Amino acid sequence: MNSSPDLKFPVIVLSPYTLHQDVWKLILAGQPGLIVAGATSDLSQITAFIPSDQTSTILIDLPTPQPEIVRRLRTLAPRCGLLFLVQSYELSIILPLLQVGATGFVSRDASIGDLARAIIAAGRGEIVLPAEIAVQSLMALAQGQPIEQEMVAPLSERETDVLRLLALGHTNKDIAQLLFLSVRTVEAHLRSIFAKLGVSSRTEAALWAVQHGYGTPKLK
Amino acid sequence: MIMAKTPVAVLGTLAEFHKEPIPFDLNALVQLVARLRPDLLCVDMTHEQWQQRDFGGLPPEYREALLPLAYQTDIVIAPIAGEHPPEEPTVPGWRGKVIAILRRWLATLQRTSPGPDAINQGLRHLMADLLYSLSAWLAGPTTGQKLRDHTQRLTQAVRELARRDPGARILVVVNVRHCHLIRAALRKYPEIQVVKYLDL
Repeated sequence: MNSSPDLKFPVIVLSPYTLHQDVWKLILAGQPGLIVAGATSDLSQITAFIPSDQTSTILIDLPTPQPEIVRRLRTLAPRCGLLFLVQSYELSIILPLLQVGATGFVSRDASIGDLARAIIAAGRGEIVLPAEIAVQSLMALAQGQPIEQEMVAPLSERETDVLRLLALGHTNKDIAQLLFLSVRTVEAHLRSIFAKLGVSSRTEAALWAVQHGYGTPKLK
Repeated sequence: MIMAKTPVAVLGTLAEFHKEPIPFDLNALVQLVARLRPDLLCVDMTHEQWQQRDFGGLPPEYREALLPLAYQTDIVIAPIAGEHPPEEPTVPGWRGKVIAILRRWLATLQRTSPGPDAINQGLRHLMADLLYSLSAWLAGPTTGQKLRDHTQRLTQAVRELARRDPGARILVVVNVRHCHLIRAALRKYPEIQVVKYLDL
């Protein structure tokens, strides 16, 4: 096989309760594609669980997530995805966390499948939000930011499709599934889009897209 | 410019024998496909079924194993059936009785398979193909043509995916009756490299 046969995506659980940590470990360990690298209630211990050779996600199960937690985690684990479990997708809770570096949010009502794919997407640095609030969130984040200059080179038709779906808040996997392309191909399109827009991250690209009107569904 | 070939593997299932006890856990199929980690997983399902999430009529291998696996991993599902697969051949008289016997043998093959890959290896794979070919021949030219048309649609859909996403690692999981025909048809296209599923 060309691919690594047992390559699994590492997830670290941050929860104040031991029982919650144990339950998460049990549930997540049963998911194909995931491996639990550790679980802790102590922020300072997080770094001990982070694999040095692989991107990973910290699943944060806190009753009231505060921006300060994100700031500290961003310092301790700058390359990790920070995925929060939330009771509901309230912008008043989500936006302050996004602004300081949270990667995504999953409702406590979500399925285990939804959570597993969110963990993988967040670890890749993708913003994980439900489509209903993704555009709102991006627009709120974009407020006050200067509109980027025009793109360096025109986008191809496929790149336009990918950018539109990105602006609607879809993850790479969602985009790949909607276009029936591999995730790696979507990633290649995104790299090309970043270069053409003169941006360095998917968040910047998504903001650019929202500011330039890509964040509305394509008319048929 | 040298263009990379798109690797395609075809994995067969005996998915139609729903009432036959499967001696292995479907989780074995999940583990197998999770290990192969294809970019695109082609399944014998129409676009309408996919869009409407109409999975009720699909075989348990799809419904309970492969679709949930793809949902929570990077594996992208590609529905490749242009139309619903043809019904199983039923004909009156002695030919119908022989088809029934052949199908019992096929069911035995499934019942005695120790794992999901068993039906794809060695004599068991050849035997399944032979039994299906005989059934199609006994069912007459019309049924045979319907089956060939369906296989042709599956093949063309795989080829189109390879054209749109060259280099993607494609795994086709279909009824074992289509395996030999799809592999043979895909080998004709220079842009596609048909590989064994373990070599994907």
